[in-house]
Amino acid sequence: MKKAQVIPPDAYPQMVSKSDALKMARALRAPETAARGARVIEDAAQTLRKGVHDYVRELEAALGDHRMTFEKAHEIRGFAETAGLRATGRIAGGLCRYFDEMQKLDAIPDAAVIALHVSAIVRAAHAKDEAGRMSDAVAKELAALVTHKLAETRTAATA
Amino acid sequence: MRSLLRSLLNSIGIREVHEAANGTAALEVLREKSCDLVLSDLAMNPTDGIDFTREVRVSPRSANPFLPIIMITGHTERHKVEAARDAGVTEFIAKPITAQSLFARIAEIVERPRAFVRCETYFGPDRRRKALEDYAGPWRRHGDLRDLQVR
Repeated sequence: MKKAQVIPPDAYPQMVSKSDALKMARALRAPETAARGARVIEDAAQTLRKGVHDYVRELEAALGDHRMTFEKAHEIRGFAETAGLRATGRIAGGLCRYFDEMQKLDAIPDAAVIALHVSAIVRAAHAKDEAGRMSDAVAKELAALVTHKLAETRTAATA
Repeated sequence: MRSLLRSLLNSIGIREVHEAANGTAALEVLREKSCDLVLSDLAMNPTDGIDFTREVRVSPRSANPFLPIIMITGHTERHKVEAARDAGVTEFIAKPITAQSLFARIAEIVERPRAFVRCETYFGPDRRRKALEDYAGPWRRHGDLRDLQVR
């Protein structure tokens, strides 16, 4: 086998010169830049929330189709927190984890577990106090349910 | 998401931003425009982020095989991240995206550009991020022997 060739950064074109790179990196890491970026996300939250609600509708419609349900849950997980819907994102993340792990175990996901998550996502996404204690508690309970169900499936697989 | 990313880039003074709906469209943009940086999703149709990256890195038609590519992904599963890394992705950002995480990755790219590695099975940024003292794999690079120290 031929040896690998290493091409150092100086040997190919860079985005900016070395001196500008330092200035740029410093500016990018400045707290005021982060604050400006956070404001941009805040300004976009309303639009993003509308997008998440669209995905939530599609998630409800996808119930029964595991592949589509996983895809929609994945989108919600990716967008919800940026849209300020933290609990919705967490519950969707839990559902994704359940699908991922069940696929690894080569097991069929439990329809009741999926339905519970979808129902909780719908409620959380439209709840007035989305980030409130109730949504948080539901997210925690569902995460515990996923852990329990996965352990059950693993035990059954090794029995 | 594309519109949010555009606004975030605008907020740090990057004014010229080109958008594409998927990997195929992005490759078209890259053939027509000169770009300094790519932000790509992993899950796209018909060409996903992994195939897109591979095309940028190894296609003879690629305008810039050294182009920095930041992969934004909800897929934090190890094997998907590894596949993207092995296609030649420069940096990753896991969703949910924050301004701080995006800016930090861009800062990393400009401040500490990575060496590129070309071998029979890979072309892309150096995947050895850490110098592992207990590295037990084969030493396959030009210069590896020169750099070895006997203690």
